[in-house]
Amino acid sequence: MARTVKRWFVLLAAVSLLLVNAVPAAASPAPYESYNYNYWKEAVPAPDAYLPKRTISGSDLGIGEFKDPGDVNVSPSGQIYILDSGNSRIVVLNGEYKLLRVIEGFMMDGSKESFNTPSGLFVDEEDRVYIADTGNSRVVVLDAEGQLVHTITKPESDILSTNFQFQPLKLTVDRVGRVYVVAQGVYEGIMQFDEHGQFIGYVGTNKVERDYGEYIWRLFSTKAQRAQMVLFVPTEFSNVDIDAKGFVYATNIDPGSSEPIKRLNPSGEDVLKRFGYFEVKGDIRFRNNPGPSKLIDVKVLGNGMYSVLDATQNRVFTYDDEGHLLYVYGGKGNQVGTLKTPVAMEQSGNHQLVLDRGKSNLVVYEPTRFGTSVNEAVALHYQGEDTQAVHIWKEVLKLNANYDIAYIGIGKSLLMEKKNEEALGYFELGMDRKSYSVAFKRYRREMMKEHFGTFLTLAIALICMLILVRVAAKWRRRRQIDREAGLH
Amino acid sequence: MKQDYIKFPLHLIFHPIDAFWDLKSDQRGRLTVAFGALALTIIMMILQKQYAGFLVNYIDPRTINSIGEIATVAVPFFLWCIANWAVTTLMEGEGKFRGIFLATGYSLIPIILIYIPMIIISRFMVQEETAFYYLFNSIAFFWFLLLLFIGTMTVHQYTVIKTILTMLLTVIVMGIIVFLGALVFSMLQQLYEFGYNIYRELIFRT
Repeated sequence: MARTVKRWFVLLAAVSLLLVNAVPAAASPAPYESYNYNYWKEAVPAPDAYLPKRTISGSDLGIGEFKDPGDVNVSPSGQIYILDSGNSRIVVLNGEYKLLRVIEGFMMDGSKESFNTPSGLFVDEEDRVYIADTGNSRVVVLDAEGQLVHTITKPESDILSTNFQFQPLKLTVDRVGRVYVVAQGVYEGIMQFDEHGQFIGYVGTNKVERDYGEYIWRLFSTKAQRAQMVLFVPTEFSNVDIDAKGFVYATNIDPGSSEPIKRLNPSGEDVLKRFGYFEVKGDIRFRNNPGPSKLIDVKVLGNGMYSVLDATQNRVFTYDDEGHLLYVYGGKGNQVGTLKTPVAMEQSGNHQLVLDRGKSNLVVYEPTRFGTSVNEAVALHYQGEDTQAVHIWKEVLKLNANYDIAYIGIGKSLLMEKKNEEALGYFELGMDRKSYSVAFKRYRREMMKEHFGTFLTLAIALICMLILVRVAAKWRRRRQIDREAGLH
Repeated sequence: MKQDYIKFPLHLIFHPIDAFWDLKSDQRGRLTVAFGALALTIIMMILQKQYAGFLVNYIDPRTINSIGEIATVAVPFFLWCIANWAVTTLMEGEGKFRGIFLATGYSLIPIILIYIPMIIISRFMVQEETAFYYLFNSIAFFWFLLLLFIGTMTVHQYTVIKTILTMLLTVIVMGIIVFLGALVFSMLQQLYEFGYNIYRELIFRT
């Protein structure tokens, strides 16, 4: 008897082991953990918005490995330009990631010129290629055929010191051909050149973050000590991009800044909307990882959305136009989809591309059902089609019931349709106090209009009752007194 | 009954100078009222965290803990009473411990009276009106401080300056008590560890 029982137990154990092993295989196809921050600033697991699809290296294309690739850009016509800095060449792919051509150099004044450790490039609407040729201290502008248009060299200006070294790192170009250059060692802002390569001036400066402890310390130091201290200078920008309206998005890597992403209007003021629950600065809470995000690239995705690339944790953060964090993907590692030393990110169609210098390849990420739905809903909301967005937000909530932005989105649509009471619930779930207040104000007024008559009737009835009771009591008391006096 | 337990406390919060004197000399204070005020204050704090309107309630619902709430109100309350008694004994205060306890307890009454309607009204407020909520909460707090001040002054028969000085000293002494308590606790723990280690040593060595 005992043996049979034992045998059954062994069998059961074996079966359970089989089952346990069978489950995790299909758990998560992503090599990283996706998360989002909730209202209480906790990182809560979220469905993956993007999954790695493939990687592209130089040998995949048959042109030899990339060497220290520096930047990637997708032209408005859909061609992908990869700046292969170590090999001083530009590799051009089409939208299907097939090799189109390789730009090795260009002809200038009858002689063949090549690049020297270029680190940034940009392709404008006419397929003109702007290359920040760092080693040669110039910006090279080539037309669609690879012919030289002009170069931008060290600017002559009164506001620049004589020993100024022009070393452009990253650049972007607006619709009329003005070039915005982030140059090495320039903390006055982004250098702006006109379409002929003339220096116009600086736009947007990072503010100096005051460290009051240091400030007080400085008061008590001698001159010699002060000379040894670090200077308070603004940090440099790390990258730039431009949106369709001509606003320049810029990132800086200031570790203490709560505004590392800026959206600069034409006069150089920061106009980025920060209406989310927390700062627009990548990771906001650091438990096991080293400090704040170091944002090294920014890409405008359209419909108000933009992505930033964090070099501390090798993740991509995407925000909507109001500064809500939409999703996070990527991470450190050696698998396909995790990154070693990411340097640039781009968007090609609905794919997102991240260039990994450490692994010398380009990682292609594809949106999941969740990611696609979020993108669609945000786009519809941005275009003012809130009623259409509701279906998609509901879809999103099925995939992630913790998605605050979806609750707020549905709430806003209900508010538009004057369904104030229903909207209240959604705003409370989304923790949006401002919209909740608006909805509640309308709901309260509605209720008052509806019930004011009833309320007034009841109040008057109550007052009449009180008066009657009072009179009755008085009458009784008088009767009592009269009776005691023997009048009855 | 009604006179001592309802009418007198209500009279006290509006006429504190007279009433605290009556409380002291005519023995009109009741320990039940002081304890009741403390209990109700704790209840109000809990109710406020739980039921205040969404627009003014920034409490993470997962952190609401009634035991913790009791500790954060009752512990400082008793600490205040003990520290105040300790300080005033040295500073020629007339008050006995009972007097201090009564004065502190009765001072809490405005908090209770203001919190009840504010919790209800806050549920019907919109963002612009929440300023009133915060205003009335501050009024409750400052009223409490004022009563505590007048109470201390009357109970010990102090001058204004001396009262302020005593209250500041009391806060410092509260800190010292907490520090000593932590010290004793830590030492007891180490003593226990020591004894336990010896015990273990003996058990395993034999």
